[in-house]
Amino acid sequence: MSSEYHPKIIGFLCNWCSYAGADMAGTSRMSYPSNIRIIRVPCSGRVDPILLIKCFQQGADGVLVSGCHPGDCHYNEGNYHARRKFALLCDFLDYVGIGKERLRIEWVSASEGQRFVDKVSNFTKEMAKLGPRSES
Amino acid sequence: MDSELIQQIRNQARSLLESGEVKGIIGYERASDGLTARPFFAYEPAAVERLIFDETCTHNLTKYLLNKKTEKMAVVVKPCDSRTINLLLNEKQIRRDMVFVMGVACPGVVETSWNHKDGTLQARCKICQLVEPLVYDFLARHEAVERPQGEPYRDVQEMETKSVTERKDFWVEQFERCIRCYACRQVCPGCYCPECFVEQLDPLWVGIRIAPKENELWQIMRAFHLAGRCIGCDECEHVCPVNIPLSLLNHKLEKEVKELFDFQAGLNPEEQPPLTTFKKEERLGFEE
Amino acid sequence: MNLYISRGDLTRWLDQLCRERILLAPVRVQELTLFQPVSKVEEITLDFGNTTLSPKGWFLPPTEALFSVQDNDGQSQLVSSIIEKDAVIFGLRPCDAKGIALMDGPFLREPSDTPYQERRARTSLIGLSCRQAQPECFCTSMGSAPNDSSHVDILLTEIENGYIAQVITKKGKALLPKALVKSEEALPSPPELQTVPVKEITLAVRELFNDPYWEQLADRCLHCNVCAYVCPTCYCFDMRDYSNKENLERVRSWDSCQSIGFSRIAGGYNPRTTKGARLRQRFAHKLLYFPEEFQQDIACVGCGRCIKSCPVNIDIRETMSDLKRLEVKGGS
Repeated sequence: MSSEYHPKIIGFLCNWCSYAGADMAGTSRMSYPSNIRIIRVPCSGRVDPILLIKCFQQGADGVLVSGCHPGDCHYNEGNYHARRKFALLCDFLDYVGIGKERLRIEWVSASEGQRFVDKVSNFTKEMAKLGPRSES
Repeated sequence: MDSELIQQIRNQARSLLESGEVKGIIGYERASDGLTARPFFAYEPAAVERLIFDETCTHNLTKYLLNKKTEKMAVVVKPCDSRTINLLLNEKQIRRDMVFVMGVACPGVVETSWNHKDGTLQARCKICQLVEPLVYDFLARHEAVERPQGEPYRDVQEMETKSVTERKDFWVEQFERCIRCYACRQVCPGCYCPECFVEQLDPLWVGIRIAPKENELWQIMRAFHLAGRCIGCDECEHVCPVNIPLSLLNHKLEKEVKELFDFQAGLNPEEQPPLTTFKKEERLGFEE
Repeated sequence: MNLYISRGDLTRWLDQLCRERILLAPVRVQELTLFQPVSKVEEITLDFGNTTLSPKGWFLPPTEALFSVQDNDGQSQLVSSIIEKDAVIFGLRPCDAKGIALMDGPFLREPSDTPYQERRARTSLIGLSCRQAQPECFCTSMGSAPNDSSHVDILLTEIENGYIAQVITKKGKALLPKALVKSEEALPSPPELQTVPVKEITLAVRELFNDPYWEQLADRCLHCNVCAYVCPTCYCFDMRDYSNKENLERVRSWDSCQSIGFSRIAGGYNPRTTKGARLRQRFAHKLLYFPEEFQQDIACVGCGRCIKSCPVNIDIRETMSDLKRLEVKGGS
């Protein structure tokens, strides 16, 4: 892939863990690729599958959803419901031709700045390798 | 046409109307082509003579219960339809004491459209595991029902052997034909939201444009809203005026729900739907 | 003046047309027959009763951007939708041609609907008469006929070794290839059709407006919009503006009176909340309001598509018979 290609990544980060984790990465002066545009949500369980599909339709090459580790959800159960939803969704997106490797679900806690950086960097690299997603 | 079976249905219907136990019977009658069946509402004992049951009775009549919640109605159900009764009971859309379920031990229905009747059993009948409805207050049964042992999810598996690009091209072609008539939604007993997401203007999820992207969004999300709820009557596919193979979408989610959560919709009105619950210790592929 | 066109001549003519213009013809798509623009004559199928969707979709597309306002370096630019070339619809049945003529009432009456008007002016109609009737056909009861040439520019009738072409309008004459011979052959007689009691149906609908018949019929109606979408004369639409930073688009899409939200007005009030009221609306519009408003025939051409496509067999012929019968009886 040409080094000119910059994948557009949309990230849905839960306010209490992942967003705080990303914030920590920032305050610790860790750098990560700036391809990602972050959307803060109260909980990973709030992320409706329709938002993810619309992201792809509007031009996102990759979508990342990150929440608290299972067991640590600020709202107790939100991420358990999210886990089930996304398990179904990833496979279904693959089935309808959108491709499951473009949707990534991660668990990053508020103190895991480095983990956030690693996850985003890896995902961006993989999306760059995959190339742009053609509009459906 | 099994006249013994039909007589059982008519007798029961007549007795229910004469006693006043129900306001009306939701069943089937002969359509205007003289060949296939159509839904029929009988409110008078004399009208029960129009009730029929044969291999053209494809419609899932339980949808109509959602329009008749204020009066007790009797409804004729096939084994597949009875799963919808369980679903609607589970989701508190109908009350058990407001429905008299007239079950039929159905040998299967064939591919039909207006003035056209095929000899071939519908795909869903070929994989059906139920000999009689799961819930009923009365059972009409005549000849013993034998079930062909078709492989469930064969259609999904075939689709899964294709590459992502092949599947994308396939679905792009299918969704292009969609005219957003919403017949699939209107015929589905599982689709009963007073305001469907597709009709919402604020936030505007889909909008009114009838175009490939919007069609894709509509179809994917409708299937997803039925995940763990669809019982596989395939009526959505039968009513589609432009022949989009909608059952391929719903069956895929049915298969995933079964494999991931060991759950099938409509078998038991008491159990927890899979997307309203969770198991803390389950591993669904996102851990590391 | 009737002309003879051999099959070879027809192919050559259509080939020329599809190069010069947008040629819409019946195409087989997954067990359906749909009017689609063709780039090669081989794509056309003539082995069909009638198409699944009517050709109204060319004059009133399922979705259309009426115009867009684009930001051109800070200057607004209004871009209206136009078709790039003149068009021809080939293989149109007489009932569908009548359907288009009926739609001219609401769309061409002043102030006319400009996108419709442009497409109408720039499109020629080559009709194909019906040698066979389908079980759902009843055009003769609705003021048309399998060989009705009233609303097309040319009407083709298939004979054993080709086609007889009736040239109806000047537009049609200009369309034909030059070297065609006259045909002395008599036109074959059209097929016989069933008759439907439709005399004074307008009156019957008015008389029975408040009859419980509508609520009873609507018991099985799913309000799925299919009847309206396949119908050659249903033309209701919804309209919304979509905007982003770069432009604003006014989009018009098919809609139908069967949807519950169709008649909801600002403030939330809805005059047609009951199923019976919504079902009645479609029949009342076609059989009563339309002929009265536009002084035209009733808005049904007898193509039978609604009968074929309705998942629960709401049959307009049956409805009209019911209404006539009830009118005599004085109501339900």
